[in-house]
Amino acid sequence: MTAYRAIVLEHFRRPRNRAPLPEANRSADGANPLCGDRVRIQLRVEAGTIADARFTADACALCVAAASLLTERVRGMRVADADAIDAAWMSRSLGGDPPPGRARCATLPLDTLRHALHTLEPASPS
Amino acid sequence: MSDSVLESITHSDEPHLVQATLVSATGSTSKKVGAKMLVGASGKLLGGVTIGGCVDAQVVEAGDDLIARGGRRLLGISLDDDEAWEIGLTCGGTVEVAIERVAPSDAADPLVAAYAAVRAALDADRAAVVATPLDGARAALVLDERGDVSGSLGDPALDAAAKAMAADVLTRGSRADTVATPAGARRLFFDRFAPPTTLVIVGAGQIAMSLTAFARELDMHTIVVDGRERYATPERFPHAGAIRVGMPSEIVAGIRPAPRVAVVLVAHDYKYDVPVLRQLLRAPVGYIGLLGSKKRGAAVRQLLRDEGFSDDELARIHTPIGLEIGGKSPPEVALSILAEIVAVRSGTRA
Repeated sequence: MTAYRAIVLEHFRRPRNRAPLPEANRSADGANPLCGDRVRIQLRVEAGTIADARFTADACALCVAAASLLTERVRGMRVADADAIDAAWMSRSLGGDPPPGRARCATLPLDTLRHALHTLEPASPS
Repeated sequence: MSDSVLESITHSDEPHLVQATLVSATGSTSKKVGAKMLVGASGKLLGGVTIGGCVDAQVVEAGDDLIARGGRRLLGISLDDDEAWEIGLTCGGTVEVAIERVAPSDAADPLVAAYAAVRAALDADRAAVVATPLDGARAALVLDERGDVSGSLGDPALDAAAKAMAADVLTRGSRADTVATPAGARRLFFDRFAPPTTLVIVGAGQIAMSLTAFARELDMHTIVVDGRERYATPERFPHAGAIRVGMPSEIVAGIRPAPRVAVVLVAHDYKYDVPVLRQLLRAPVGYIGLLGSKKRGAAVRQLLRDEGFSDDELARIHTPIGLEIGGKSPPEVALSILAEIVAVRSGTRA
Protein backbone atom coordinates (compact mmCIF):
# COMPACT_ATOMS: atom_id res chain seq x y z
CA MET A 1 0.00 0.00 0.00
CA THR A 2 1.35 3.43 -0.92
CA ALA A 3 1.89 6.07 1.72
CA TYR A 4 -0.78 8.18 0.04
CA ARG A 5 -3.35 5.41 0.24
CA ALA A 6 -2.46 4.53 3.82
CA ILE A 7 -2.78 8.13 4.97
CA VAL A 8 -6.09 8.68 3.21
CA LEU A 9 -7.58 5.48 4.64
CA GLU A 10 -6.27 6.20 8.13
CA HIS A 11 -7.79 9.68 8.21
CA PHE A 12 -11.03 8.52 6.59
CA ARG A 13 -11.53 5.71 9.09
CA ARG A 14 -10.32 7.70 12.09
CA PRO A 15 -10.83 11.34 11.18
CA ARG A 16 -9.39 13.90 13.56
CA ASN A 17 -11.61 16.78 14.68
CA ARG A 18 -14.72 15.55 12.87
CA ALA A 19 -17.44 17.12 15.01
CA PRO A 20 -19.44 20.32 15.15
CA LEU A 21 -17.80 23.18 17.05
CA PRO A 22 -20.63 24.96 18.90
CA GLU A 23 -18.36 27.73 20.15
CA ALA A 24 -16.98 28.50 16.67
CA ASN A 25 -16.67 32.13 15.69
CA ARG A 26 -15.63 31.44 12.10
CA SER A 27 -17.38 28.97 9.80
CA ALA A 28 -17.68 28.23 6.13
CA ASP A 29 -19.31 25.60 3.96
CA GLY A 30 -17.74 24.25 0.81
CA ALA A 31 -19.25 22.12 -1.94
CA ASN A 32 -18.14 20.45 -5.11
CA PRO A 33 -21.17 20.79 -7.37
CA LEU A 34 -20.02 18.03 -9.67
CA CYS A 35 -19.38 15.16 -7.28
CA GLY A 36 -21.50 16.42 -4.38
CA ASP A 37 -18.79 16.58 -1.72
CA ARG A 38 -19.90 18.83 1.13
CA VAL A 39 -17.63 20.06 3.92
CA ARG A 40 -17.93 22.58 6.74
CA ILE A 41 -14.91 24.04 8.54
CA GLN A 42 -15.50 25.68 11.91
CA LEU A 43 -12.90 27.63 13.86
CA ARG A 44 -12.54 29.23 17.22
CA VAL A 45 -10.18 32.16 16.70
CA GLU A 46 -8.85 33.96 19.76
CA ALA A 47 -6.48 36.94 19.53
CA GLY A 48 -5.44 36.05 15.99
CA THR A 49 -4.74 32.40 16.82
CA ILE A 50 -6.82 29.36 15.89
CA ALA A 51 -7.68 27.89 19.27
CA ASP A 52 -9.81 25.10 17.85
CA ALA A 53 -10.66 23.74 14.42
CA ARG A 54 -13.20 21.09 13.51
CA PHE A 55 -15.01 19.89 10.45
CA THR A 56 -18.10 18.00 9.34
CA ALA A 57 -18.42 16.45 5.92
CA ASP A 58 -20.51 14.28 3.68
CA ALA A 59 -17.65 13.67 1.31
CA CYS A 60 -15.33 11.11 -0.21
CA ALA A 61 -12.44 9.53 1.66
CA LEU A 62 -9.89 11.90 0.13
CA CYS A 63 -11.88 15.00 1.05
CA VAL A 64 -12.48 13.74 4.60
CA ALA A 65 -8.79 12.90 4.98
CA ALA A 66 -7.78 16.33 3.68
CA ALA A 67 -10.12 18.05 6.13
CA SER A 68 -8.82 15.89 8.96
CA LEU A 69 -5.18 16.68 8.19
CA LEU A 70 -5.94 20.36 7.73
CA THR A 71 -7.78 20.83 11.01
CA GLU A 72 -4.97 19.02 12.82
CA ARG A 73 -2.45 21.33 11.23
CA VAL A 74 -4.12 24.68 11.85
CA ARG A 75 -4.85 24.22 15.54
CA GLY A 76 -2.67 26.71 17.37
CA MET A 77 -1.60 28.51 14.18
CA ARG A 78 -1.79 32.21 13.61
CA VAL A 79 -4.57 33.09 11.16
CA ALA A 80 -2.12 34.56 8.64
CA ASP A 81 -0.02 31.38 8.68
CA ALA A 82 -3.08 29.14 8.20
CA ASP A 83 -4.16 31.34 5.33
CA ALA A 84 -0.87 30.61 3.61
CA ILE A 85 -1.30 26.82 3.54
CA ASP A 86 -1.43 25.71 -0.06
CA ALA A 87 -2.13 22.68 -2.24
CA ALA A 88 1.54 21.68 -2.18
CA TRP A 89 1.35 21.31 1.61
CA MET A 90 -1.75 19.22 1.21
CA SER A 91 -0.03 16.88 -1.27
CA ARG A 92 2.94 16.47 1.05
CA SER A 93 0.66 15.73 3.98
CA LEU A 94 -1.29 13.19 1.98
CA GLY A 95 1.90 11.42 1.00
CA GLY A 96 1.56 12.30 -2.66
CA ASP A 97 -0.52 14.05 -5.27
CA PRO A 98 -4.14 12.97 -5.59
CA PRO A 99 -4.93 10.95 -8.71
CA PRO A 100 -5.81 12.84 -11.90
CA GLY A 101 -9.23 14.38 -11.61
CA ARG A 102 -9.30 14.17 -7.80
CA ALA A 103 -7.27 17.25 -6.94
CA ARG A 104 -10.42 19.19 -6.14
CA CYS A 105 -11.38 16.63 -3.48
CA ALA A 106 -8.20 17.52 -1.57
CA THR A 107 -8.37 21.26 -2.08
CA LEU A 108 -12.05 21.72 -1.17
CA PRO A 109 -11.28 21.72 2.58
CA LEU A 110 -8.41 24.13 1.93
CA ASP A 111 -10.62 26.58 0.06
CA THR A 112 -13.30 26.20 2.72
CA LEU A 113 -10.74 26.94 5.45
CA ARG A 114 -9.76 30.15 3.66
CA HIS A 115 -13.39 31.19 3.44
CA ALA A 116 -13.81 30.47 7.13
CA LEU A 117 -10.72 32.50 8.00
CA HIS A 118 -12.11 35.47 6.13
CA THR A 119 -15.61 35.35 7.56
CA LEU A 120 -16.36 38.20 9.88
CA GLU A 121 -16.58 37.33 13.50
CA PRO A 122 -20.18 37.68 14.68
CA ALA A 123 -20.77 40.80 16.76
CA SER A 124 -20.69 40.18 20.49
CA PRO A 125 -24.06 40.47 22.17
CA SER A 126 -24.39 43.87 23.82
CA MET B 1 -56.99 5.15 6.56
CA SER B 2 -55.72 7.95 4.35
CA ASP B 3 -57.09 11.42 4.77
CA SER B 4 -58.68 11.64 1.30
CA VAL B 5 -62.12 11.00 2.83
CA LEU B 6 -61.58 13.91 5.19
CA GLU B 7 -60.86 16.17 2.25
CA SER B 8 -63.84 14.91 0.26
CA ILE B 9 -66.26 15.54 3.13
CA THR B 10 -64.71 18.89 4.01
CA HIS B 11 -64.99 20.16 0.45
CA SER B 12 -68.34 18.62 -0.41
CA ASP B 13 -71.16 20.97 -1.33
CA GLU B 14 -73.78 18.23 -0.94
CA PRO B 15 -76.34 18.95 1.82
CA HIS B 16 -76.14 15.31 2.84
CA LEU B 17 -74.00 12.38 1.85
CA VAL B 18 -73.52 8.83 2.95
CA GLN B 19 -70.26 7.57 4.33
CA ALA B 20 -69.81 3.83 4.06
CA THR B 21 -67.06 2.17 6.09
CA LEU B 22 -65.96 -1.44 5.98
CA VAL B 23 -65.94 -2.29 9.69
CA SER B 24 -65.33 -6.02 9.64
CA ALA B 25 -64.44 -8.71 7.15
CA THR B 26 -64.12 -12.46 7.24
CA GLY B 27 -62.90 -14.73 4.49
CA SER B 28 -60.53 -13.73 1.75
CA THR B 29 -61.67 -10.23 0.84
CA SER B 30 -58.77 -8.04 -0.19
CA LYS B 31 -60.32 -4.93 1.30
CA LYS B 32 -58.95 -3.49 4.47
CA VAL B 33 -61.07 -2.69 7.49
CA GLY B 34 -61.57 1.05 7.45
CA ALA B 35 -61.96 1.23 3.65
CA LYS B 36 -64.53 3.88 2.77
CA MET B 37 -66.68 5.34 0.09
CA LEU B 38 -68.84 8.42 -0.07
CA VAL B 39 -72.12 8.54 -1.92
CA GLY B 40 -74.27 11.57 -2.65
CA ALA B 41 -77.87 11.81 -3.78
CA SER B 42 -78.89 9.50 -6.65
CA GLY B 43 -75.89 7.28 -6.08
CA LYS B 44 -73.33 9.87 -7.13
CA LEU B 45 -69.87 8.77 -6.06
CA LEU B 46 -67.96 11.50 -4.22
CA GLY B 47 -64.19 11.58 -4.07
CA GLY B 48 -61.97 8.93 -5.51
CA VAL B 49 -62.42 6.08 -3.06
CA THR B 50 -64.70 3.05 -3.16
CA ILE B 51 -64.81 -0.17 -1.18
CA GLY B 52 -65.09 -2.19 -4.34
CA GLY B 53 -67.04 -4.87 -6.15
CA CYS B 54 -70.50 -5.88 -5.07
CA VAL B 55 -70.19 -3.87 -1.85
CA ASP B 56 -70.27 -0.60 -3.78
CA ALA B 57 -73.52 -1.55 -5.49
CA GLN B 58 -75.25 -2.34 -2.22
CA VAL B 59 -74.02 0.85 -0.59
CA VAL B 60 -75.32 2.89 -3.51
CA GLU B 61 -78.64 1.08 -3.32
CA ALA B 62 -79.02 1.80 0.40
CA GLY B 63 -77.66 5.32 0.06
CA ASP B 64 -80.70 7.11 -1.33
CA ASP B 65 -82.94 5.84 1.43
CA LEU B 66 -80.46 6.87 4.08
CA ILE B 67 -80.03 10.33 2.59
CA ALA B 68 -83.78 10.82 2.71
CA ARG B 69 -84.36 9.45 6.21
CA GLY B 70 -81.04 10.05 7.95
CA GLY B 71 -79.43 7.93 10.65
CA ARG B 72 -77.26 4.90 10.25
CA ARG B 73 -77.36 1.27 9.20
CA LEU B 74 -75.08 -1.69 9.42
CA LEU B 75 -75.09 -3.75 6.23
CA GLY B 76 -74.04 -7.37 6.41
CA ILE B 77 -72.92 -8.41 2.95
CA SER B 78 -72.06 -11.93 1.86
CA LEU B 79 -69.37 -12.11 -0.76
CA ASP B 80 -70.31 -15.68 -1.59
CA ASP B 81 -71.98 -16.09 -4.92
CA ASP B 82 -73.02 -19.51 -6.15
CA GLU B 83 -72.13 -18.97 -9.79
CA ALA B 84 -68.92 -17.21 -8.96
CA TRP B 85 -67.97 -20.05 -6.61
CA GLU B 86 -68.37 -22.54 -9.40
CA ILE B 87 -65.90 -20.77 -11.62
CA GLY B 88 -63.61 -19.92 -8.71
CA LEU B 89 -63.85 -16.15 -8.98
CA THR B 90 -65.43 -15.08 -5.71
CA CYS B 91 -63.58 -13.58 -2.78
CA GLY B 92 -65.67 -15.50 -0.29
CA GLY B 93 -66.56 -14.42 3.21
CA THR B 94 -68.75 -11.70 4.64
CA VAL B 95 -68.25 -8.05 5.34
CA GLU B 96 -70.00 -5.53 7.52
CA VAL B 97 -70.36 -2.03 6.18
CA ALA B 98 -71.51 0.81 8.41
CA ILE B 99 -73.35 3.50 6.47
CA GLU B 100 -74.43 6.79 7.94
CA ARG B 101 -75.76 10.09 6.71
CA VAL B 102 -73.41 13.04 7.15
CA ALA B 103 -74.18 16.76 6.80
CA PRO B 104 -70.83 18.16 5.58
CA SER B 105 -71.72 21.82 6.25
CA ASP B 106 -73.01 21.16 9.78
CA ALA B 107 -70.14 21.58 12.22
CA ALA B 108 -72.28 19.89 14.89
CA ASP B 109 -72.64 16.69 12.87
CA PRO B 110 -70.77 14.13 15.00
CA LEU B 111 -68.63 12.89 12.13
CA VAL B 112 -67.90 16.37 10.77
CA ALA B 113 -66.80 17.48 14.24
CA ALA B 114 -64.73 14.33 14.66
CA TYR B 115 -63.04 14.80 11.31
CA ALA B 116 -62.17 18.39 12.20
CA ALA B 117 -60.35 17.05 15.26
CA VAL B 118 -58.67 14.38 13.13
CA ARG B 119 -57.57 17.02 10.63
CA ALA B 120 -56.00 19.08 13.43
CA ALA B 121 -54.15 16.00 14.71
CA LEU B 122 -52.88 15.06 11.25
CA ASP B 123 -51.73 18.62 10.62
CA ALA B 124 -49.69 18.33 13.82
CA ASP B 125 -48.24 15.00 12.58
CA ARG B 126 -50.23 12.95 15.06
CA ALA B 127 -52.38 9.88 14.39
CA ALA B 128 -55.95 9.84 15.71
CA VAL B 129 -58.73 7.32 16.24
CA VAL B 130 -62.44 8.01 15.77
CA ALA B 131 -64.72 5.76 17.82
CA THR B 132 -68.34 5.49 16.66
CA PRO B 133 -71.14 3.20 17.87
CA LEU B 134 -72.39 0.60 15.42
CA ASP B 135 -75.90 0.86 16.79
CA GLY B 136 -78.05 3.52 18.42
CA ALA B 137 -77.72 7.25 17.96
CA ARG B 138 -74.88 8.71 15.92
CA ALA B 139 -71.96 9.93 18.01
CA ALA B 140 -68.20 10.10 17.79
CA LEU B 141 -65.25 10.36 20.13
CA VAL B 142 -61.72 11.20 18.97
CA LEU B 143 -58.46 10.32 20.70
CA ASP B 144 -55.16 11.45 19.23
CA GLU B 145 -51.58 10.31 19.84
CA ARG B 146 -50.96 13.12 22.32
CA GLY B 147 -53.92 11.95 24.38
CA ASP B 148 -56.22 14.80 23.38
CA VAL B 149 -59.86 13.74 23.42
CA SER B 150 -62.81 15.44 21.77
CA GLY B 151 -66.46 14.51 21.28
CA SER B 152 -68.46 11.99 23.26
CA LEU B 153 -70.41 8.79 22.81
CA GLY B 154 -73.06 10.11 25.20
CA ASP B 155 -72.08 8.13 28.29
CA PRO B 156 -69.03 8.86 30.46
CA ALA B 157 -68.45 5.16 31.14
CA LEU B 158 -68.65 4.37 27.43
CA ASP B 159 -66.31 7.27 26.67
CA ALA B 160 -63.76 5.95 29.17
CA ALA B 161 -63.95 2.40 27.77
CA ALA B 162 -63.71 3.65 24.21
CA LYS B 163 -60.75 5.87 25.04
CA ALA B 164 -58.87 2.92 26.53
CA MET B 165 -59.49 0.78 23.47
CA ALA B 166 -58.70 3.64 21.07
CA ALA B 167 -55.23 3.90 22.59
CA ASP B 168 -54.62 0.31 21.51
CA VAL B 169 -56.08 0.95 18.06
CA LEU B 170 -53.57 3.79 17.58
CA THR B 171 -50.81 1.20 17.36
CA ARG B 172 -52.69 -1.78 15.92
CA GLY B 173 -55.00 -0.30 13.28
CA SER B 174 -58.73 0.07 12.67
CA ARG B 175 -61.17 -2.53 13.97
CA ALA B 176 -64.66 -3.12 15.29
CA ASP B 177 -64.75 -4.21 18.90
CA THR B 178 -67.07 -4.59 21.84
CA VAL B 179 -66.59 -2.60 25.02
CA ALA B 180 -68.21 -3.37 28.33
CA THR B 181 -69.85 -0.67 30.43
CA PRO B 182 -72.11 -0.84 33.51
CA ALA B 183 -75.01 -0.18 31.14
CA GLY B 184 -74.12 -3.17 28.99
CA ALA B 185 -71.86 -4.11 26.12
CA ARG B 186 -71.64 -1.82 23.11
CA ARG B 187 -70.11 -2.56 19.74
CA LEU B 188 -67.99 0.28 18.39
CA PHE B 189 -65.90 0.91 15.33
CA PHE B 190 -62.47 2.38 15.89
CA ASP B 191 -61.19 4.13 12.80
CA ARG B 192 -57.50 5.00 12.76
CA PHE B 193 -56.20 7.95 10.75
CA ALA B 194 -52.44 8.39 10.43
CA PRO B 195 -50.30 11.08 8.85
CA PRO B 196 -48.91 9.96 5.51
CA THR B 197 -45.66 8.06 5.31
CA THR B 198 -42.81 10.45 4.73
CA LEU B 199 -40.37 9.06 2.21
CA VAL B 200 -36.94 10.64 2.46
CA ILE B 201 -34.92 9.93 -0.67
CA VAL B 202 -31.18 10.57 -0.42
CA GLY B 203 -29.65 10.83 -3.88
CA ALA B 204 -31.43 12.67 -6.66
CA GLY B 205 -30.83 10.20 -9.47
CA GLN B 206 -33.12 8.33 -11.81
CA ILE B 207 -34.42 5.86 -9.22
CA ALA B 208 -35.37 8.83 -7.06
CA MET B 209 -37.33 10.35 -9.93
CA SER B 210 -39.42 7.19 -10.26
CA LEU B 211 -39.80 6.94 -6.49
CA THR B 212 -41.37 10.40 -6.26
CA ALA B 213 -43.80 9.61 -9.07
CA PHE B 214 -44.93 6.27 -7.62
CA ALA B 215 -44.96 7.48 -4.02
CA ARG B 216 -47.45 10.18 -4.88
CA GLU B 217 -49.92 7.47 -5.91
CA LEU B 218 -49.38 5.86 -2.51
CA ASP B 219 -50.19 9.12 -0.67
CA MET B 220 -46.62 9.37 0.59
CA HIS B 221 -44.97 12.71 1.25
CA THR B 222 -41.58 12.73 -0.45
CA ILE B 223 -38.47 14.70 0.43
CA VAL B 224 -35.60 14.54 -2.05
CA VAL B 225 -32.17 15.19 -0.54
CA ASP B 226 -28.88 15.71 -2.32
CA GLY B 227 -25.72 17.75 -2.06
CA ARG B 228 -25.76 18.57 -5.76
CA GLU B 229 -27.93 21.47 -6.83
CA ARG B 230 -27.94 20.49 -10.48
CA TYR B 231 -29.49 17.11 -9.67
CA ALA B 232 -32.07 18.06 -7.10
CA THR B 233 -34.22 20.41 -9.14
CA PRO B 234 -38.00 20.93 -9.46
CA GLU B 235 -37.68 20.19 -13.17
CA ARG B 236 -36.33 16.72 -12.47
CA PHE B 237 -38.67 16.15 -9.53
CA PRO B 238 -42.07 17.65 -10.35
CA HIS B 239 -43.80 15.14 -8.03
CA ALA B 240 -41.58 15.70 -4.98
CA GLY B 241 -43.18 17.11 -1.87
CA ALA B 242 -39.94 18.91 -1.03
CA ILE B 243 -36.43 19.19 -2.41
CA ARG B 244 -33.56 19.87 -0.03
CA VAL B 245 -30.00 20.62 -1.13
CA GLY B 246 -27.15 20.69 1.36
CA MET B 247 -25.22 18.28 3.53
CA PRO B 248 -27.46 15.21 3.36
CA SER B 249 -26.67 13.91 6.86
CA GLU B 250 -27.60 17.28 8.36
CA ILE B 251 -30.80 17.50 6.35
CA VAL B 252 -31.83 13.99 7.41
CA ALA B 253 -30.93 14.75 11.03
CA GLY B 254 -33.30 17.72 10.85
CA ILE B 255 -36.29 15.58 9.85
CA ARG B 256 -38.23 14.47 12.91
CA PRO B 257 -37.75 10.70 13.18
CA ALA B 258 -40.91 8.64 13.53
CA PRO B 259 -42.09 5.15 12.65
CA ARG B 260 -43.90 6.57 9.63
CA VAL B 261 -40.67 7.99 8.18
CA ALA B 262 -38.95 5.79 5.59
CA VAL B 263 -35.47 6.70 4.38
CA VAL B 264 -34.00 5.28 1.21
CA LEU B 265 -30.36 5.79 0.29
CA VAL B 266 -30.18 5.63 -3.49
CA ALA B 267 -27.18 7.86 -4.19
CA HIS B 268 -25.06 4.69 -4.38
CA ASP B 269 -22.23 6.75 -2.92
CA TYR B 270 -20.65 6.05 0.45
CA LYS B 271 -19.98 9.74 0.94
CA TYR B 272 -23.70 10.17 1.61
CA ASP B 273 -24.63 6.64 2.69
CA VAL B 274 -22.30 6.40 5.68
CA PRO B 275 -22.92 9.84 7.25
CA VAL B 276 -26.69 9.52 6.76
CA LEU B 277 -26.71 6.03 8.28
CA ARG B 278 -24.83 7.37 11.30
CA GLN B 279 -27.80 9.68 11.86
CA LEU B 280 -30.44 7.02 11.27
CA LEU B 281 -29.33 3.84 12.99
CA ARG B 282 -30.25 5.11 16.45
CA ALA B 283 -33.31 7.06 15.32
CA PRO B 284 -36.84 5.59 15.48
CA VAL B 285 -37.57 5.71 11.75
CA GLY B 286 -39.72 2.94 10.30
CA TYR B 287 -37.56 1.90 7.39
CA ILE B 288 -33.97 2.31 6.25
CA GLY B 289 -33.01 1.05 2.79
CA LEU B 290 -29.61 1.12 1.12
CA LEU B 291 -29.09 0.68 -2.60
CA GLY B 292 -26.29 -1.69 -3.53
CA SER B 293 -25.17 -5.27 -3.74
CA LYS B 294 -24.84 -7.64 -0.78
CA LYS B 295 -21.09 -7.07 -0.91
CA ARG B 296 -21.46 -3.32 -0.82
CA GLY B 297 -24.02 -3.54 1.97
CA ALA B 298 -21.66 -5.73 4.00
CA ALA B 299 -18.82 -3.25 3.50
CA VAL B 300 -20.93 -0.31 4.63
CA ARG B 301 -22.13 -2.29 7.66
CA GLN B 302 -18.53 -3.19 8.56
CA LEU B 303 -17.45 0.44 8.35
CA LEU B 304 -20.23 1.39 10.75
CA ARG B 305 -19.57 -1.63 12.99
CA ASP B 306 -15.99 -0.37 13.34
CA GLU B 307 -17.44 2.93 14.54
CA GLY B 308 -19.33 1.19 17.33
CA PHE B 309 -22.76 0.43 15.88
CA SER B 310 -24.21 -2.85 17.11
CA ASP B 311 -25.35 -5.77 14.97
CA ASP B 312 -28.95 -5.06 15.97
CA GLU B 313 -28.63 -1.49 14.80
CA LEU B 314 -26.97 -2.55 11.55
CA ALA B 315 -29.66 -5.16 10.94
CA ARG B 316 -32.13 -2.30 10.51
CA ILE B 317 -30.60 -1.53 7.11
CA HIS B 318 -32.51 -3.19 4.28
CA THR B 319 -29.83 -3.99 1.75
CA PRO B 320 -29.96 -4.99 -1.02
CA ILE B 321 -32.89 -2.65 -1.03
CA GLY B 322 -36.38 -3.64 -2.21
CA LEU B 323 -38.38 -6.80 -2.70
CA GLU B 324 -36.91 -9.22 -5.22
CA ILE B 325 -39.13 -8.79 -8.28
CA GLY B 326 -36.47 -9.31 -10.91
CA GLY B 327 -36.50 -5.72 -12.13
CA LYS B 328 -33.39 -3.88 -13.25
CA SER B 329 -34.50 -0.54 -14.69
CA PRO B 330 -34.75 2.49 -12.38
CA PRO B 331 -38.58 2.46 -12.36
CA GLU B 332 -38.56 -1.27 -11.58
CA VAL B 333 -36.09 -0.77 -8.75
CA ALA B 334 -38.24 2.09 -7.43
CA LEU B 335 -41.28 -0.18 -7.53
CA SER B 336 -39.48 -2.90 -5.56
CA ILE B 337 -38.35 -0.35 -2.96
CA LEU B 338 -41.86 0.98 -2.43
CA ALA B 339 -43.20 -2.58 -2.28
CA GLU B 340 -40.73 -3.33 0.51
CA ILE B 341 -41.66 -0.17 2.41
CA VAL B 342 -45.34 -1.10 2.19
CA ALA B 343 -44.53 -4.66 3.29
CA VAL B 344 -42.55 -3.42 6.31
CA ARG B 345 -45.23 -0.90 7.21
CA SER B 346 -47.95 -3.53 7.07
CA GLY B 347 -45.91 -5.95 9.12
CA THR B 348 -45.64 -8.65 6.46
CA ARG B 349 -41.87 -8.11 6.31
CA ALA B 350 -39.58 -7.34 9.24
